[in-house]
Amino acid sequence: MDAMAELTAEQGYEATKIADIVRRAGVARKTLYDNFDGKEEVFLGAFDSAVDEIAGQIEEACKAAAGEWVDGVTAGLRAFLDYVAEKPAIARMCLVEAMSATPASATRYDAALERLIGLMRERAPADSGLPETTEETLVGGVAWILHQRIRRGESEQALDLMPELLDFLLSPYLGVGKQKL
Amino acid sequence: MERLPRGRHGLSPEFVAQNQRQRLIAGLTEALYQVGYQKTTVSLIGERASVSKSDFYKHFESKDDCFFAAYEEAVERIRTEIVAACSKHDEWSPRVRDGIVAALTLLACDPALASLSLVEGLRAGRGVYDRYQAAVESFVPYLRRGAPAGPDGEPVPVATDEAVVGGIASLLGRRVLAGEAEQIDQLLPDVLEFALTPYLGAAEARRIISAG
Repeated sequence: MDAMAELTAEQGYEATKIADIVRRAGVARKTLYDNFDGKEEVFLGAFDSAVDEIAGQIEEACKAAAGEWVDGVTAGLRAFLDYVAEKPAIARMCLVEAMSATPASATRYDAALERLIGLMRERAPADSGLPETTEETLVGGVAWILHQRIRRGESEQALDLMPELLDFLLSPYLGVGKQKL
Repeated sequence: MERLPRGRHGLSPEFVAQNQRQRLIAGLTEALYQVGYQKTTVSLIGERASVSKSDFYKHFESKDDCFFAAYEEAVERIRTEIVAACSKHDEWSPRVRDGIVAALTLLACDPALASLSLVEGLRAGRGVYDRYQAAVESFVPYLRRGAPAGPDGEPVPVATDEAVVGGIASLLGRRVLAGEAEQIDQLLPDVLEFALTPYLGAAEARRIISAG
């Protein structure tokens, strides 16, 4: 599955063949087929375990942050950006390739987004008076920015986005500019 | 799209060819909405368009080639609609408001177009996906042009423009994926508030939306 992430990051899902995966992973073709039905299964397996890892790290960071809800969101966002910077290939697979690889992967991508939206909803103040879709658009917006930067090959500088993305995530709740105080 | 009459009709070959091409694109869009990318075959597109398979290949090299043309056209349709709505105003906020209203109204009225442009079309591989990407990015300048400095007087960060546009595209795509394309226009107040608030502050954004 690591081989899958590396290969899709390098050449895209479509161009990645079973032969490439087994060569890169150093396993026999038979071993792959003992564990997976085919390329899509490998991709989905890799995607699921990567999402578990990323969402797990974000959740943990949120929980560990003491203080206000804002601190939780800040820590969660930082954990997310950290992951993108440290594991660009996996981040690319999850945030770029999954959207368009196959119908099943698009559905899983949507579910992964839902998980992050849920985290944001849990933390954001319930009495904000903001539209119900606020967290969806906010998380979607952050995912989009990361998607763009990854495609431009700027994954390693993901942490530079911290101030702007935090501003974007918090300003609907706090009012523009207030999160800088 | 209706097929042309058979037999002698006095229509120029160019007209017939153009009409066939348009029918194929419409056929693909319709088939895609109903059965999804994988089941949208060249035969099905031809069937929907009443164009033979051999005529299909006179216009397009492959299914994906047809997809690319359909995608290109879909993006242009959405853009034309938005630009027409925006160009009625010089002022930033009514311009952005009308642009968003136009986009959401068009997508809700034509769920097949919404599906092609935001969800199913992206399965057609890298080419179309890159086009999606470029299309979403191309809407950023519409939002950025003439945008107010932000309610606290400080310029709104550059990533905000992109994140607003990307966030809206993501929300709309999620609704289309959930089979709710026809209700996209119900999201209007939410989307407007989301787009205007970073620039105007919540109170002013709500005032403009309710003045709609």
